Amino acid sequence: MGPVELLHMSVFSQSFSPCGRFLAAGNNYGEIAVFSLSAALSPDATAQSQKPVLTFSAHEGPVFSLLSNDCHLLSAGSGEVSCWSWAELIKKNTKPLWTKRPNYKSSLEIPEINSMTFNSRDNSLVLAGGDNNVHILDLERGLFKSVLQGHSDYVHCVSVRGREGEILSGGEDGAVRMWDSRTGQCVHCIEVHKYESCARPQFGKWISCVTTDSDWMLCGGGPSLSLWHLRSLSPTSIFPLIGCQRQTSFYQDMILAVGDGPAVSHCLLGGEVKAQIPCSPQSLNTLQLNTNSTDYRVLTVGGSSDHIDVFTNLSYRTFSFSF
Amino acid sequence: MGAVTDDEVIRKRLLIDGDGAGDDRRINVLLKSFTKWCNSPGTPDEGFTQYQRMMGILAQCEFSMGKTLMVYDMNLREMENYEKIYTNIEQNITSAHDKIAECKKEIQRAKRIRKNRQEYDALAKVIQQHPDRHETLKQLEALDKELQQLSHIKENVDAKLELRKKQFHVLLSTIQELQQTLENDEKSDNDENIQGSPAQNGE
Repeated sequence: MGPVELLHMSVFSQSFSPCGRFLAAGNNYGEIAVFSLSAALSPDATAQSQKPVLTFSAHEGPVFSLLSNDCHLLSAGSGEVSCWSWAELIKKNTKPLWTKRPNYKSSLEIPEINSMTFNSRDNSLVLAGGDNNVHILDLERGLFKSVLQGHSDYVHCVSVRGREGEILSGGEDGAVRMWDSRTGQCVHCIEVHKYESCARPQFGKWISCVTTDSDWMLCGGGPSLSLWHLRSLSPTSIFPLIGCQRQTSFYQDMILAVGDGPAVSHCLLGGEVKAQIPCSPQSLNTLQLNTNSTDYRVLTVGGSSDHIDVFTNLSYRTFSFSF
Repeated sequence: MGAVTDDEVIRKRLLIDGDGAGDDRRINVLLKSFTKWCNSPGTPDEGFTQYQRMMGILAQCEFSMGKTLMVYDMNLREMENYEKIYTNIEQNITSAHDKIAECKKEIQRAKRIRKNRQEYDALAKVIQQHPDRHETLKQLEALDKELQQLSHIKENVDAKLELRKKQFHVLLSTIQELQQTLENDEKSDNDENIQGSPAQNGE
């Protein structure tokens, strides 16, 4: 990997291993790199421990989404989903377990898969597709069981409301749609850009991040990042962040958001921005918290750089992994 | 093996000799002066002063020995003291660890509570934007009353309209009947006239 390629690298996705000791990151060249957290956080870490323990080429196009469950790593790139076993990856065996492709209507252009999430209620995988549809893959049988149609432009992000069994999807057309996972019907459709308090016409109406914790939903992108109460479908707080947010998550009593701008924003549910922690990439695409391990509870962010910043304490950057 | 023990011996001797500014030398000097004194021919006075001197040196040696013993005792007691402090500090460390774990749990609880409070606040803000329920009820009552009044007025107007209609009907029907009667009278008059003239003509 030459220096020019490293300069143009963007990290699009990350995922922690089920044991919590490894981090997998996917970049725009279709590679996945596995970093060892336990080596990098140990007292005798060297500069070499901030390099990946394994790098392999997973897809032809960029790896937009990575997801882990108890023993598998799922990666999605341009049009296909591959499954790898974590145990095999740790042993440096890079053969995928399976690769599947959703049924696309047109075979001319292959739409990309922008985001994935698990629906634990019926053990299925929800895929946000670039063909304006949400595809659902049944993990038990390995078949694509349904397609949720309704968006008029590509779907950026999906999230699952555990308690109610609903799937939320946000798309380029500015709509956040809520689907019932059993019947596949669109239950609600919120056009965020139509609400004056959230809309930012100068950025557009696209929604690039949706996340939920069953009662509340965060969504942002072109419109400002806003917190919505799902029962009443009304926006309760708008966060005054400059730039478009690409990934957000709820963490304890705070909201963490990353997007344009070289900082991780910590916000309170009331709408105020508590802190903005600077990091090395110029703009950030992905944010992950390691909840699988108590020893290595870190936050990692990646973006338009070949460095992935690691935060052991949320208030400052500790070190960076590099591809 | 031999080299090691030699080193040990040398080290011990250096240690001992380094202590007390030449105690070993003093004992050697005492021994030498004792043998000299035993074999000296000199006067009893000189012998006596020599004897005094030797007693003095002996007393010095005993004194330094006593001092060393005391220092040794003191060291032992210091060691005990340090052991006590050590165990004390270890206990403090474990109790501090426990307190830290407790405080961490407290923090988690407090964070959950804060999150809930913020959620309530956010919802309350939205709810505040909607108008008060009492006011809306009052407005509804006022509107209801107005509605009732208006329907009352409408009923009255309707009733009046009906009455006027009926009155006009009565009037019009009376007029019509009168017209009919007049027409009938006219007709019967004409008939009489026609009947009367042919009867006259027939005579």
